This record gives sequence, structure tokens and C-alpha cells, in this order.
Amino acid sequence: MTPEPAAPSALPCLHWLRRELRGWADADGERVLFVVRTLAAAYAALWLAFRLGLDSPATAMTTTFVLALPSSGQVLEKALYRLLGTIVGCAAALALTALFPQQAPPLFAGLALWIALCTAGASMHRNQQSYSFVLAGYTACMIVVPALDAPAGVFALAVTRTTGVGLGVLVAAAVHDVLLPRRQGLQVMRTVQARHDRFLGFCREVLEHRLPPAEAELNHLRFAADIAALESGRAAAFFEAGPAHTRQLHAFNGAFMTALTTFHTLHRLLHRQRHETASPVPALIEPLEALVAQALAPGADASLAGLPAALEQAAGAGRAELPADDGADARRWRIDFDTAAKLAARFAHDLAAFNGIHDSLAHRKCMQVSEPLAYAPKTPPGIVAASGLRAACAMLAAATLWYWLAWPAMANALVMTTIFCALASGSPRPTAMVRQVLTGFVIGAPLIYATEFLLVARADGYPMMMLATAPLLAFAAWLMTDPKRAGVGIGMAMFSSQFLAPANVMHYDAGAVINNMLSQLGGVLLAFVIFHVVLPGHTMGNRAHVAAALWREALAACTARLRGRGERLRHRFDNRVRDLLAQLNAAAGSAPSPETRAVVRQGLTLLELGHAIIELRTLLRATSPGPVAGVLDGTLRALAAWLAAPREDTRTAAIYAVQAAGPTVRAGLDKAAGDDAARLRLALTGLHSIHTSLLDQAPQPLPAATAVAAPAVPPVNPNGTPDAP
Amino acid sequence: MPRELSIFGLLIPTLLPLFFASMLLQGVLDRLLGAAGVYRHIWHPALARLALFACIFGGLTAALYH
Repeated sequence: MTPEPAAPSALPCLHWLRRELRGWADADGERVLFVVRTLAAAYAALWLAFRLGLDSPATAMTTTFVLALPSSGQVLEKALYRLLGTIVGCAAALALTALFPQQAPPLFAGLALWIALCTAGASMHRNQQSYSFVLAGYTACMIVVPALDAPAGVFALAVTRTTGVGLGVLVAAAVHDVLLPRRQGLQVMRTVQARHDRFLGFCREVLEHRLPPAEAELNHLRFAADIAALESGRAAAFFEAGPAHTRQLHAFNGAFMTALTTFHTLHRLLHRQRHETASPVPALIEPLEALVAQALAPGADASLAGLPAALEQAAGAGRAELPADDGADARRWRIDFDTAAKLAARFAHDLAAFNGIHDSLAHRKCMQVSEPLAYAPKTPPGIVAASGLRAACAMLAAATLWYWLAWPAMANALVMTTIFCALASGSPRPTAMVRQVLTGFVIGAPLIYATEFLLVARADGYPMMMLATAPLLAFAAWLMTDPKRAGVGIGMAMFSSQFLAPANVMHYDAGAVINNMLSQLGGVLLAFVIFHVVLPGHTMGNRAHVAAALWREALAACTARLRGRGERLRHRFDNRVRDLLAQLNAAAGSAPSPETRAVVRQGLTLLELGHAIIELRTLLRATSPGPVAGVLDGTLRALAAWLAAPREDTRTAAIYAVQAAGPTVRAGLDKAAGDDAARLRLALTGLHSIHTSLLDQAPQPLPAATAVAAPAVPPVNPNGTPDAP
Repeated sequence: MPRELSIFGLLIPTLLPLFFASMLLQGVLDRLLGAAGVYRHIWHPALARLALFACIFGGLTAALYH
């Protein structure tokens, strides 16, 4: 916040009032505005539904609550995907009913298959597109189930659903975008600014040795989550009016990941070197670190421009102080020093690129960005398959219960189970989410009953109905603004809008309301049970799955096709690893366990290794065939063999291969000149950093909890065997 | 222009396709205006966007009921 101007001495009271008001507007004012927007959208949609004579006014009202999100960009994005999902789901329902008219068992099998496919598709994406998939799945269920006995009415049901949702979508989009909107674009720019400052601060703290390694790992985890959050924020801001910085934000994320990786490699290298007490390298590197730290200080933009030259000079001075004899130690120290100096120079370069993009974003300059690559998330296949299977199981279980209990209202429960199994499958902690919604239902039920039969029943006309229902709906919307209780609020709002929205022809039947409430509660409860029973370990961000996927990604860095100078492969690899870390972060919550931290450490080491491997592969492509190319190829093969089956013997073989490659490359370096020499020197530093990170993978005691928590997957530790890729 | 379209025997008000057409038109115009930087000089871009849409849809509807 900007500093307050000095208070005029005559009016201290007014000044105090202004400050208090501004504080309130920043915190609670936003929430009040959200409640106002949400209620306005809900009542406008309901009123329009009555005016247009739609068959299900409640659907339009529920839609506005589903779309009630903090910023207008998010609302517009979700609105579009809700409309798409509903249309696809309705089409699927029509097709299913047409294929199996009045044949319940094959119809349910087909429906289960459709829902499984949609839910699996949803868990592959982690943005609003996934909502489209989820919706396509359960909309089909919502239409097929009521049409079971009267298939002829299925078209009318589909049209009712589509018009209701369509109206809700239009009204919600218009209201949230126009009525006192909160802009997503501004939020994104604020995020960019905060991330830039935080990253520079983090680097400075690490370089000044003020941050313990464990803290640094946590920071990496948070940064990974930030990258994912910025990407989803950017996607939402795209739907707003005004300039969309799509390309620049892609470039910002890309440059940030590159700088972060280089910095992490440098940090690990310095950390390892410091453990070697005899080596003079750490003391000689110290001035370089100080130079970089100085350039990172706030308001030191000028020194950042001159950083590469200053680093070059300092490196030259440091190199001159290294022992000049030809002993094995001295030679290793020289490589150590060169590697560190080269990494520091590369970090300075990455930082300059990152800073340039940040400045152009902050000052709204239009910058020509050369085709930046987008951040693309990916979920481990085990989790994708499990969420599809779980959704199908949930639906079939509810259908079986329905058949067995022969309770007509149970059809509602079937729909509710399907909805919540699909919705929660993309969440890292689905049980917590379903529990919150369930809490909202349970708290909401008596309130809804009282509102419906004490207030709404006596209301005369639309304004009175609004007055009667507003307190409960406003309370639910207020709860939605509280991040800790958002689920409770959403549950309450969805539940109450279904029961409170008057029908075209009103009839008050306490028995039917209680029946419906009970069955819907039962449905959500069943979804809760399903998440506890069916493959409970296979949820988004599960530690074991993420660890296995990290190994697979590192292997892909060895084996995937390499095009051009490897930018695409490097970007994809960076992307995937950061995305996996972001999933891990989402599942771990605010205080990651030691086992989670072990996976993070593993992931960061693999990230470093993968980058070194990709670099080695690009160098190998440029090297003409000969003994050097032969040993580099052999090294890459050994590394691939180790990544495919991380065991002690393969690791030793990889270490041997790397060690054997060293002398050959050095011999080649003595004969080479010009470009070739530079390339071989790069290869040597690459081999060196691979060697040190391989040594880092020495046997560690296996955290017992990893093995216990996920019996379905082999435990993954540095030397354990993850899923066969 | 007919006020109702018959698609496979279903009567659909012509307003509906007109609505989608105006959404499409508005989307194209919106991108153009955004790229030209017009929205930067407008007090409430979203309101301008909604008004633009209302104008387009209203214009098409007026053409239909002329």
C-alpha cells in the first residue's frame, strides 16, 4: 500500500476515519461487493426465467451461484466452459437414451462409461477446461436419470436444462462483468509484481547464506504453485475487455522458470563445494556471489546492466588465484571454479531477460516476444485413470442403492453423488472438499426449511420473495468469500437455490421437501464415502505418483526427440516438473511433511540433472563423430538406463560412464580450437554437474511413511524403483 | 426474414440464431477494439462491451421485425 500522507493536524479525526474506511474497503468492502453482485445476478436470472416462462427457473438461479467467482475474468471464463459442457452433456444424454431406450442396465453402463471418460478428461487439465469435462459428464446423468421411465421426454429435459443454464450464464456474466466489477487483469499484474520482488529477495537471501536449504526447497515448491496460479489467472484475464498480455505473460513464466532453474543449479553446486574443506573454490567464488547479491538489491537496476562484465572480471581474478600445478585436486578445483563462474554468468543473463520482461509488463510497454511457449499442465496417468474409475463406481453404486431401496427420491441422490464425485476429483484433497459441501448442506437444511415454510410461503409477489430469501442467500454468498469456508458457502448456496427458487406453479409440500433434502444429503454422503473407499491414495498431487512421474519426466529428457537447439524439449521438461511440484504443493497444504520434502528435493535434483542431460544432448548433436562423441553417447545411455531403473548398480554404472568420459573429453579439448573447444568445455562442465548430482543420490534411509501411505505403488526413494515408465 | 425457422420440423425463433450471430460479431469487434487499445480510454470497458452487444443484437432484431 502507498504510505499515508502526513495527517493535517487540524483534522486527526477525519484522517483516522479515512484510514479505517480504506482498510475496511480493502478487506470487507470487497466481500460486500461480491455478495451484492452474487445476489443481483441470482435474482435477475430468476426474474428473467419467470418472465420468459422457462420450465426450470431454479437451474438459472443455481447457475449464477456456481459462477459466482471473485473477478469478472474468472466468471466469464467459467461461464463459457459451463455453457460448452452443458451442451455437450445434453447431446450425450440424447445419444445414450436413443441408443438404449427403456433398457436400464445397458443405459447405466453407457452412462458410467461416459462419466468415467469425462472425469478422466477433467483430471488431465487443471484449469477451467476441466470444469467443462466434469459438467459434460454429470449433465448427461442429470438428464438421463429423470427420463428413465419416459424416454420421450428426454428432449424436453435437455432443452429445459440448456435454456436454464444458458440464461444463468448470460445473466451472471453480464452482472459480474458490469456491476462494480473486480478486474482479473489488475490482479494478474499485482501477482507479477509480487513474484518479481519475492524472487529477487529469495535469490539475495540464498546468496548471502541467510536461508537454510530446507527453506529454499519450500520456496521452490511455492514458486511452482505461483507459476501455475499465474497461468490460470492469465487465462481468466483473457476474457476481460482491455489489453491481454498473453504472450508477455507466457514469456514471463518461461523466463522465470529458466532463471529459477539456473539459480537452483548454482545454489546446489555452491552448497556441495562448501562441504569440501580443502578446496579453495568457495572462498574464491564468494566475491562473485556478493556481486550478484548486490545487483539484486532493490533499486539496483543500474548494477544489473553491468553485472555480466563485472562477473567476468571477478572470475578472471579468481581463476588467477587457483593453484597452477597439474595435480588431480588442482584440476578438479579448476573445473569446479569454471562451472560455478559459468553458471553465475548464465544466471546474470537469465536475470536480465526476466527483468526486461517484467519491466515491459509493469510499464505496459508493447514488447516483441519471439513466440513464447505456453505453460501446459499434465497429470500422472495413474491419477487420471483412478478418477475416471471412481466416478463410474460412484454412479453405479448409487444406481444399485436406488434399485435396492426402491425409494423414488433416491434418483436425486444418484445425481448428487455423480456431481460431487466428478467435481471433487480434480481437487488435491477431495474428502475435505466434499466434507465442506456436506457441512453447508447440513447447516443449510433447517434454515432452508424454515425460510421456505415460514417466510416464502407468506411472501406475496416477487419483491417479497426476494426479501424472504435474501438473508439466507446473502449468508451463503458471504461464506463463499472466506477462503477457509468457501466450500460450505457453495454447498449452502447450491442447496438453497434449488429449494427456495419458486416453481412456475407453486405448491408447498413439506413431505416432498424433506424427502428431497434427505436424498440429496445421502447422495453427497455417498460421494464422501466413495472417496474414502475407492483408491483413496490416487488423488491429485499424491506423493508417490508425483515422485514416479518426476522420474519419468527425467527419463523423457534423455529419450524424447530433440529438435533444433533443444528449447522446446527444455521448456516442456521444465514445465512438467514445475507442474508436478505445483500439484504436490496443492496437496501438501501449508506445512509439507518430511516425506513430501524428500520428494521435492528429489524433483529439484532431477530437474537439474535433466537440464544437464538436455544440454549434453544438444552438444552431442553438434559434435562430429569421433572418440568424444562416442563417450558422450555412452554416458547418455548409462544415464537413461539409470533413470529407467534407478537402482544401485545402474547408478554406479552411470557414475563410471561419467567418470570415464572426463579424460576423453579433456584429451579432445587439448587438440580442439575455436568453437569446438568452447563446446567441449561446456560438455566438461555439464559432465561435472551430472557427476556431482549423481553422487548426491547416495543411499538414504527410506522414509517409512511413503511405503505405508501408498501400498498400491512401489515406494519411491532415490534408489527405489518407481513405476516402470 | 421469417420470424421462425423450421429445423427438422422444430420451430426455432429466428431471434436465437441472431443472438448467436451477434455474440460472434461482438467477439470479433471486441478483439479488434482491444487490440487497437480503444478500451484503455474508456471509463467502464465492460459496460461499453455490454452496450456494444445490445446495439448489435438490437440492430439485428430491428432488421428482423422491420
